[in-house]
Amino acid sequence: MDIQAIEKILDADGIVFLTYGGFITQSLIAGMTDALERESEKKDLNQGLANNIFVIFIELSQNMMNYSKSREVEGDTFDPKGLIMVGKGENDAYYVLSQNILNDSDKNKILPKLEEIGQLDNDGLKKRYRELRKTGRDSHGQGAGIGFYEIAKRCESISYEFIPIGEGKYYFQFKAIVK
Amino acid sequence: METLRLEATQYTPEIVLDPAGVIAFSGKSYPENTFDFYQPVMDWLEQYFSSELPERTVVNMEIIYFNSSSSKLFFDMFDLMEEASAEHALEVNWIYDPENESAREAGEDFIEDFDSLTLNLVEKG
Repeated sequence: MDIQAIEKILDADGIVFLTYGGFITQSLIAGMTDALERESEKKDLNQGLANNIFVIFIELSQNMMNYSKSREVEGDTFDPKGLIMVGKGENDAYYVLSQNILNDSDKNKILPKLEEIGQLDNDGLKKRYRELRKTGRDSHGQGAGIGFYEIAKRCESISYEFIPIGEGKYYFQFKAIVK
Repeated sequence: METLRLEATQYTPEIVLDPAGVIAFSGKSYPENTFDFYQPVMDWLEQYFSSELPERTVVNMEIIYFNSSSSKLFFDMFDLMEEASAEHALEVNWIYDPENESAREAGEDFIEDFDSLTLNLVEKG
């Protein structure tokens, strides 16, 4: 096994943080966020930028955690193939990239939100976020349903893809660029 | 009523709810189940506002960063406070580090959403 090959890839792509595989738990997310905080202190990142990276990272990884949990409840043995990374791209921009396997019903929940977000400018996004947040006390499921709006508010741009892999399943790839 | 005190964790803030009228949140907020985690806080607040209140209530919120479900939860909490502040002197201090632009913006958003709640932006010195 060539760990150095992995290291080379990470260096070449400016990846500062990477996690792959298995189940994501809350304590793992907290540990990873802590590591990211140290990384950003070391790099002397602006605090506002750093916080945006943390929040995007948290939203994406908690999403993955919740998908896995709901699968478990359904009694599925299911490997979400979760991957999440944070890297430094061109012009001092950072990116947070995630990939995991979703089924049709997940896709049908997420896609309309992402399409709506894609059509909104900054002001529209802010307005929509606040509208959705206002849904009244006690009207929430596991999350608030505004995670992708939160992410979009905090980054320059998002891009995503649902790659079908058969049996109603997809690789969901998501990228947020933060400046 | 008794004081409710919760220690900070890696992903939840330190919380002090003192019936003498001092309420404080300080730290980060991204619990695994945000609404379950904050349920005792919301219950305490509802009970507090329906009991005999001190002259005034001061709420100090110093949250470095928070996930979207915490954002929703804080919205619901401010909603409760705004309701109570119709008949009670209550103010919220939204405290942030001058370098933490996103925390300031979050505070500005809340101000826009709550017309009749006194919400002060307080830059940490």
